[in-house]
This record gives sequence, C-alpha cells and structure tokens, in this order.
Amino acid sequence: MVFIFGFNFPEQTLVKRSLETFYGIGPKVSRRIMARFHIHHTEKVGSLRNPQILDLNAELSNMKIENDLRREVQDNIRRLRDMGTYRGRRHAMGLPVRGQRTRTQITTARKLNKMERGGSGRVQM
Amino acid sequence: MFPTRALYARSVWKGPNIVPLPIVRPKPGERVPPIKTQARSATILPNFVGLKFQVHNGKTYHDITITEDMVGHKLGEFAPTRKNFTYKQTKNK
Repeated sequence: MVFIFGFNFPEQTLVKRSLETFYGIGPKVSRRIMARFHIHHTEKVGSLRNPQILDLNAELSNMKIENDLRREVQDNIRRLRDMGTYRGRRHAMGLPVRGQRTRTQITTARKLNKMERGGSGRVQM
Repeated sequence: MFPTRALYARSVWKGPNIVPLPIVRPKPGERVPPIKTQARSATILPNFVGLKFQVHNGKTYHDITITEDMVGHKLGEFAPTRKNFTYKQTKNK
C-alpha cells in the first residue's frame, strides 16, 4: 500500500488512475502532473520512489481538489440560491439550469443539479 | 464580477446592457417608491445596491431589493416567469 495525499492505493494501481480518483483531477490534469515529475503513463504506484511521492504530495496539497473544491462549487450554488436567481432555483429543483428542454432527457440534471453537488466527500487519513 | 456576462458571452465592446432607469438618490429620512420596470435584461450596476425594484415577469411586478451579490446579473433573473404545474380537479365531467 502506498500513501498519496492521505489516501491508500494498492501497489499495482497505475499512477494515472490513482491520481484521477481525486475530485478535481481528470485525464488532463493528471497528465500534466505526471509530466512535471517525469512519471511514465504506464507506471504503477508501487514503482514510485519516495521523493517522487513526496513531490506528488506537495503538488496535490497546493491544488484546490477534493473537499475544498466541493465546498467551492457548493458555495457558488448556494450563493445563487440565496440571491433568489432562476439558476439557483433550478438547482434546488434538480432541473436543467441553462434552458435545456425538460419534456424528456433530464436524467443528468436530476442526478447532478443539487444544492449539495459533488457529494459529501471522502475522509482523508 | 460579471458572471452572467461570461455565461452568455456578450461581446466585451458592447459593455454591460445599461438601460436608462428612473433612479432617484434618496435624501436621508425620505422613502422612495420602488422603481417599476419591464427591462428584464438590464444589467445590475454597482450603484443599484440597496435600491428596490419592481421587475415585470410578464404578468405581475416582483419586488426585488438589490444586494451586493447581485451586481453583474440581470434584473430578470430574479423575477420568475413560469408557474409550477399543479393538477386541478375538473368539476364538470
């Protein structure tokens, strides 16, 4: 098991995959981080050397990811709601926010458009 | 500062949509009637903060007090135009 940014990863996981488990890191950001620390995209977490892990930790702690990012998104939605805007109201109702049709195909909006967007977060060790 | 402007990508050279509204500066100890308007697309400017507006929603006028957060949004965002669907029982079949 390898600790990266307070989370445990089994040694056979790809570095790319493990980075992308964080909220706020996708394919693009993970590629940028790995390029910065000279990590090949097929490299496994187990083969990382200790200074590399420390570098990753330092980089991740400077970024706005996980619960900080969730809180920011939720604050933005709450601000819209508190102001009484149309967009805030649509979020609270779980309906499309940007004028999409609602007769059919609103499953994505039902799933995502909530006041507590992004879930409650993971527990960091 | 201008979230709506970024969202709907209004050209920068046009600037915010400034609508001439009858804004009177209140003298201390004097009550000003709310500004009645149908200009829903008017951008809320920083000097509107604290004023009361009555914004048309197509049928009635909605009372809005402008706060600091609202600067950069449009007046119409705060006056809902649609009614929620409710089922009404028919009396005569």
